[in-house]
Amino acid sequence: MKLTILQENLAHGLSVVGRAVSSKAALPVLSNVLLRTKDAGLELTATNLEIGITHWVPAKVDEDGSITLPADLFSGIVASIPMKSATIELELLPDDRVHLVSGRFETHMKGMAADEFPQIPSAGERPTTRVSQKVLRQALGEVTFAAASEEARPILTGVLTRLEGDRMTLAAADNYRIAITTIPTLAPAEDTSIVVPARSYAELERILTDVDDPVDVILAPSRNQVVFHVDGPDRTVLVSRLIDGQFPNYQQVLPKEHTTRAVVDREELLRAVRPAALLTQKTTKIVKLHVGGEGTAGISVTAVSDLGDHQSEVDATIEGDGTTIAFNADYLTQVLQNVATTEFDIDLAGPLSPGVFRPHDGREYTHVVMPVRTAS
Amino acid sequence: MSGTPPPTRRPGRGPGDARAPRIGTPGGPGASRAPGTPATILHVDLDAFFAAVEQRDRPELRGKPVIVGGGGPDDRGVVSTASYEARKFGVRSAMPLRTAGRLCPDGIFLPVDGTKYQAESRRVMTILRRFTSRVEQVSIDEAFLDVAGSEALFGPPEQIARRIKAAIHDETGLTASVGVGTSKLIAKIGSDLRKPDGLVVVPPGEEAAFLAPLPVSRLWGVGPATATALAELGVATIGDLAVLPPDALTRRFGKHGADLVERAHGIDRDPVHEPDAMKSVGHETTFDHDTSDPEVLERTLLGLSDGVAWRLRGMGIRAGTVVVKVRDSGFRTVTRQAPLPEPTDLAEPIYQAALALARPEMRGKRIRLLGVTATHLDAPDQLGLFSADEDRRHRAMEAADALKRKFGDRTIVRARLLDKGLPAPFERDPSSPLARRGVDEASDEPEPVTREREPDADAGTEDV
Repeated sequence: MKLTILQENLAHGLSVVGRAVSSKAALPVLSNVLLRTKDAGLELTATNLEIGITHWVPAKVDEDGSITLPADLFSGIVASIPMKSATIELELLPDDRVHLVSGRFETHMKGMAADEFPQIPSAGERPTTRVSQKVLRQALGEVTFAAASEEARPILTGVLTRLEGDRMTLAAADNYRIAITTIPTLAPAEDTSIVVPARSYAELERILTDVDDPVDVILAPSRNQVVFHVDGPDRTVLVSRLIDGQFPNYQQVLPKEHTTRAVVDREELLRAVRPAALLTQKTTKIVKLHVGGEGTAGISVTAVSDLGDHQSEVDATIEGDGTTIAFNADYLTQVLQNVATTEFDIDLAGPLSPGVFRPHDGREYTHVVMPVRTAS
Repeated sequence: MSGTPPPTRRPGRGPGDARAPRIGTPGGPGASRAPGTPATILHVDLDAFFAAVEQRDRPELRGKPVIVGGGGPDDRGVVSTASYEARKFGVRSAMPLRTAGRLCPDGIFLPVDGTKYQAESRRVMTILRRFTSRVEQVSIDEAFLDVAGSEALFGPPEQIARRIKAAIHDETGLTASVGVGTSKLIAKIGSDLRKPDGLVVVPPGEEAAFLAPLPVSRLWGVGPATATALAELGVATIGDLAVLPPDALTRRFGKHGADLVERAHGIDRDPVHEPDAMKSVGHETTFDHDTSDPEVLERTLLGLSDGVAWRLRGMGIRAGTVVVKVRDSGFRTVTRQAPLPEPTDLAEPIYQAALALARPEMRGKRIRLLGVTATHLDAPDQLGLFSADEDRRHRAMEAADALKRKFGDRTIVRARLLDKGLPAPFERDPSSPLARRGVDEASDEPEPVTREREPDADAGTEDV
C-alpha cells in the first residue's frame, strides 16, 4: 500500500469513522481503524460490533493494500500536521509498520494486519428502500431522543423502523414517553419492521446532511443487520446490528380522546419551561402546566422546590376544559426543543392522562408524555 | 403520618386551663400583632413523664413518691424520673439512687420500662403533629413546635397550646407543661416555669422582662462553672447579665460571652428543626449460624426484599435505590448500592437488584448478616406508558397485603419462602443503633421474620 492524500480529507474521514471505534474493545483490533485502498481512494473503517462506519476519501494510490492502525494514535498524528492543505504520504512497510511523511514531518507506526479486522457487510446489495437524507435526518432528530438509555428493557433502547409501501414509520419510547413519525420514502418496499439501536441512529443523524440526495437503506438478507449507504462526495456506509424482540404495541397506549387542547408557540413555551426546570426539586423535576381555566388566556408554567419557585405565563389558544398537569421537566424540555415546528397542539385529558404533543401544521408526528402524579 | 383531625371540642375543660399567666404587659390580641417576630414557638414538656405513666397505670401509686430508675435504693444507678411527690423530698433526675433512697426512705422504686415509655412518647408526638408538621422532638418527653401558619385552623398559639394540653390529657391521661414564645429559648424556659400542668405565654417584645428576674442558671450555656464566674461579676439574675456591657463578657468568656448577652435579651435564632423526611426503609437479619449456602442466602434476600416492599407499599412510597449490606464471619461489612431501573414498591425488582449487588460480595464467604435497604424514597410517581403488567402485579400485591393485614402475615407466603426453615430467630444486628421508633403501631410488624429498622424520628436517617 502506497498513497498520497490531503491532510484535510484524511482528518475528516478519521473523525467520521472514529465515532465507531470501541473505547473499551473486546478485541484489540477494534481499537484500530482499517485502511484499504479502493476506487482510487482510501477507505477507512471502524467498528465496535454494534455499528460499523466506512468512509471513502479520495487519494492518489500508487500501490494497493490494506492495514489497521490504532485509531487514537493515527488520528492524533494526522491532526498534529499543521496545514490542512498539506499532503500526506502513507506507505506500508514490512512487519505491519506504516511510514507517514508530510513535509518535514515523519512517523513510523506499528499496525495490525487487515485480515484481523472483522468483516463489515458491504453496500453492494440492492437497496430495500431509499429516503431523502434531509427528511430522514429531521425524523431521527425528532424521534431518537425518546428512546430509553438504560438497558432494563433492551428493546426500548432501539427505534422501531417500519416500512409500509412508500412510507417509513419511526417510533421510540422509554417507559414514560413515546415519539412517532411517518415520512415518505423514495422507493416502495415490502412491509417489514426492524428495531435499530438509538445509538446507531444518533450516528446516522450526524452523517446525514441537509440535502435531498437519498440515503439507501439495505436490510441484510440475514435480517440481523441494516446498512445505510450515503453516496456522493461524502461516501459513507453505516452498518448497524438490529435489536431482537417485539417492540411494544404503542398504538394501544396512544390516547384517543382529549378534553383540553392548547395551541401554543413552541419557543415561547420552551422559554417558560426552562427557568421553571431550574427551580424544580432535583430528585423529582416536576413542572406543572396550568392550562386554560378561569381568568387565564393561556398556559401558566410553575415549579416549586427548596430552591425557590417560578411562574411564567404563555399565550395559547385553549379549547375545552381547564386542567393542570405535572410533567418531568426533562421530558417536557426535550419534546419542545427537538421537534421542528412553530406551534404545538397539546392535547390533555386531566392530570393523570398522557399529554399528546403534535405539530400544529398537521404533519405526521406524535409525542406522548406520561404525567407525574402529584399530591395536590 | 398524622391525619386524624384534632378534637373539635372547645378547649377549656382540660387541665392547665386554670392558669395561663401572661408575663409583662397584659397580652390580649394586640400583643400578638406586635411588630417583630410573632410568638409561635411552643415547647411541650411532659410532667415527670416516666413516673406519671406508672402512676396512671397503677392507681395505687398515685399521690405517692415514685422513683423510676434501676433496681432500688441499693442499686448503683441513677434516678430517671421522680414523681412530684418524691421531688418534695429533694429527689431529682440523675441523682444516684442511693441518695434518693436516703432522702426519701418511703419512696417506691420502679425499673425503667423503656418500651412502654417509647409507645407513650409516640402517642404524644402524634398528637403534636396534628397541629403542625413543624415538630422537633428533643427527647422522649419534650418537643418544640412552630405553629406559624396553623392559626387559621386552630386559633392563636395560646389556644393551640391549650388544645394540645387538653388532647394529651384526654388521650393519654398525662399532663404537659407548655411554654409559648418567639424563640425556642423563651418557650423552653416558659414551659419549665410553672410545672406541672403549666402554660406560660411570653408575648413578643416581653422576652427580656420575662427573663430578668430568673436566675442566670436558667439560661442555656450557663452551667455551674459559668454561673460561678458570673457571680464573681455580680451577676445573679438574667436581668443582671443583660445590663452588663457585652465587651466585658466577651473579654471574660470569648464568643460564648456574646451569645450569653443575646440570650439574656431573649434572642435565640435557632429555628424549629423539622425532622427530615424518611430517607430509607431497611430490613436486616443475622443468621443463627454463619452460612455460605447460596439457596439460604438468596431466600433470605428475597424475604428481606419482601419485607421492605411491604413497608414501602404500606407507606405509599416507592424507592429509587437499593442498598445491600453483607457481613461475613470475620465481621467484615460491605455495603453496595445501585439505582433501580425505575422507582418501585414491589419485591421482585428490589430482590433482583439486591441479589446482583450481594452476589459478588458473598462469593466464597461464610455470611453472618444480610441487609436490604431501599432509599431515594422521594422518587416521583411518574406514570408509565407500558405499565399494565406492573399494574396487574401491583393489584395482586395489594390484595395480598390486605389479606395479611386482616388475617396476619402468614396468610400469604411467597412459595419460595414457604416452610423453608428460614434462619430464626432473626435478631437485630447487635452493632446497629437501636432505632426502633415506629411510624405505625407494632401490630403490623412482620414478626418474627425480620426486625424493622425505622429511621429515628429525631435523626431521620439511618446508617446504611
